[in-house]
Parts: sequence; structure tokens; C-alpha cells
Amino acid sequence: MDAAGPQRTAPKGTPPRAKPDARPMRLALGASGLAAMSALAAAIVLPPRPAAQDTSALQQPGASVGANPTAGQVQRPIVYVQLSPGQTAPPGATVIDPSAPTPLTVTVPAPTSAAQAPAAQKPVVIKTTASGKVIP
Amino acid sequence: MTLGQGLGRRAASRSTRWVPPPEPSPIEPVSVATTSMGGRLVVHLEADGRAEDARRDGRRVIARIDRWAARLTRHTGSSDLSHLNSDPGSTVSVRPTLAAAFRAGLAAEEAGEGLTDITLLDARLAAEGKAEATTASRRSEWEIVRGARGSAIVRRPPGLRFDFGGVGKGWIADRALNLLAEWPSCLIDADGDLSIRCAQGRYWEVVIDDPRAADSNLAVLRLGAPHGGMPTRWGVATSGTHVHRWNVGGTVTHHLIDPRTGRPAVTDVVQATVVAGSALRAESLSKAALIAGSIEGLALLERAHVRGAVLVTSSGEVRALPLTMALLAH
Repeated sequence: MDAAGPQRTAPKGTPPRAKPDARPMRLALGASGLAAMSALAAAIVLPPRPAAQDTSALQQPGASVGANPTAGQVQRPIVYVQLSPGQTAPPGATVIDPSAPTPLTVTVPAPTSAAQAPAAQKPVVIKTTASGKVIP
Repeated sequence: MTLGQGLGRRAASRSTRWVPPPEPSPIEPVSVATTSMGGRLVVHLEADGRAEDARRDGRRVIARIDRWAARLTRHTGSSDLSHLNSDPGSTVSVRPTLAAAFRAGLAAEEAGEGLTDITLLDARLAAEGKAEATTASRRSEWEIVRGARGSAIVRRPPGLRFDFGGVGKGWIADRALNLLAEWPSCLIDADGDLSIRCAQGRYWEVVIDDPRAADSNLAVLRLGAPHGGMPTRWGVATSGTHVHRWNVGGTVTHHLIDPRTGRPAVTDVVQATVVAGSALRAESLSKAALIAGSIEGLALLERAHVRGAVLVTSSGEVRALPLTMALLAH
């Protein structure tokens, strides 16, 4: 028995098959790998942040008024309209001289300040009494 | 230190940072109220967006409580208890609801170290001036034997009569709470005896009545369950001598009978409130503490390992077990 077996040879008369150039794909894979490593390193090296932020103060009207004097107020840009000759300002409007510097913002009380905010809903209170006691 | 060590340290510090759990929040329940068992009956349920379902289940539980109460009351002649009390025999078969109530009565007697007793109907009627004065407790003279399908046989000396009183209310409140297993936070108020279940991260506020002044509060308890735990059960009950009082032959009496004497308890406590794991236990212990008096009563409550207790004495002093401080809302 012939252990070597039949030899494979290219069919005669057929030119050898050209292989695709692997270099562009290797470059693309390398660039992708670098980008992934960079993203992972950035995520790991970032300084730790608090796992949870306490937003309760933001949700409770008036809770942060003492800490921040502007709490409960909003900053609103004021738009000035240049009056044309013959026009008059509407009642209550602030009239300034055109040569005066234009203020950028003004602080006005918010409509729902801490004083006007609805009171927090009180929990239902149940009473324990001696039997027979009438609760008004 | 290598870069790897530094990264590892940062990662470790981030993973071990402790964040305190949020504070439990109050429950805003849907409530269904009625009058039953001679007083108020209120079912409170945290509806969680299912208000109609909560009201429907509250009404169903109230209907069920009414049926139980109709079998256990001594105030109507048609109840199972009245049939037993009027039966001249010494061995009487009782139906499952009454049998279960008798077993609860035995548990109450044991919790109260014998100062809570369901054999004192005649003594109670004597305190009201409706019967002759009787002797002391006869609790050792009766027994209950289990029968088929939840029924039982009561063996007692002929003529021995029973009255469940507050023990019955506490037991009914606990039983009703079990019917509402679908609702993580619910509360049964059976005329001041409270059976409570609280979901994790939630709490109920319970006010203790002040017997020293009308319409005033002694303290506010906050009974809740921490975040991350199982729903917690509580029982709260108050016993007092200032509501049911009578003038019998020039002597002022009340309804809390001392089993040792068969007469209204002579005690320096005018009101006792107990916080325990069930309404039945809280009820039996509050009654026992009041009858025992402030010094022996507080010792009894400590032995019973209650979760909290507040006693008001006849001199106006308020005495509480130290554990109670952790339950106070303010």
C-alpha cells in the first residue's frame, strides 16, 4: 500500500490563484483595537463619582433656600424693545434711556416660591385608643 | 506602585463605597370605614394605583369581620358564644370560628401571665351592676379539645360563661389582615386595636391617645419596614379604665377585671399601650400590664419582649419601655 497517497497538483494550463492583500484588513483591525483599548482605559481611569446623587433637596420646595439665597427664584432675560418715534411704553413697562447700558438679566420671584408651594401631603394618622373611645 | 495596582485600588474603592438606603416614606392609604363590634372598624390599604380594587377588598373584609363578630359577640342571643353561654351542659361542641377564638383566648391568657382571662363575663356584668359579684378567675376549670374540621369541644363547669372582649377584637383584626395578603401595606383598626402590615421602605404613623385631656395625643409612633427587608407585621393595642366606667352603689367601677379578685382592677395605670407583633398579643399584654400596675406591668412587658409600651399613671406620669424611643416619630 502506498502510504504517500496521490500527489495534489494544480491542473495544468491554469494560472495560480492570486491571494487578497491582507494588509488593509490588518490595519483596520489594529485601529479598531486601539480605539477599544483607549475607550476602556478612559472608563477605568476616570475618577470615581458618587454612586447616587441626593436629589431630595431639589424636590422639596424651600429645602435649599437657606443654603442658596437665589433658590426659589428664576433668572429671566429681559427683552427691550426700541420704541419708534411716536410710540409709548405700555403701562408698567420699564423705560430706560437708550444710552444706558443694557442689563442682561434681572432676578424676579418665581411664582411658586417656598411660601406659596403646596404643603407636603401629610401621612394618614391612625389612632390607638381604649375600646369604646370615640374619635372626633 | 504600578499602573495596574493604581487601577485596582480605584476600582476597589468604588465598589466598596457605602450608600445609605433612602428613608422609609409614609403610606397614603385608601380607607374603608364602618361601625362594628361596638366601635369603629377601618380597613386601610395602600392602593398603589388600584384604589377601586382596594375599596372592594376593604368592603369584603369588613363583611367577613361582621360575620365573625356575629358569632363571637355576647350582646346578641343568636351568636355561637351566646348559645354556648346559655347551654346548661358541661361539654359543648363549638363551630370552627368559635373554636379558633377559644384557642386565641388561651394564647392571650398565656401571654398575659394569667391576667388576661376570657372567663370573666359574670365579673364584668357585676362591675356594671347587672349581676351579683363573683369570685376570682375560673380559667383553670375549662379546656378545649380539637374536633373534626376545625370544630372543637369545650369542657367547663356548668354555668361558666365566657366573654372575649378586646381579645376577640385583636384576634379578628389579625385574622382579617391575613385575608389581605395581596396588599403589602394594610392596617385593620378594630376599635383602637391595630393589626398592621408594612411593605419595605414604607411606614405607618400611629397616634397614641392621651387619656389626660380630650382630643389630645400622647405620642406618635412610626411603624415601618426598612428598605431591602420583608414586609413587617405590627400589632398595637391600648387598654384604659377611663372609657367604660360606672357608678355602682356609690362606687366607681370600670370594665377591666382582675382575675385574681374577680373585681375591677385596683391599679395606678389608667392607660397602657403596647406595640407587639400582632394585635392579639398587644391587646392581651396591654390589659395585663394595666391590671398589674405600672411597676409590675412594665416588668411583665419586658419579660414578654414587646417592641414598645407606654403607660399613663393616675398621677399623670407617662412611663415607657426604652425600646419605645426608637419608634417615636417626633
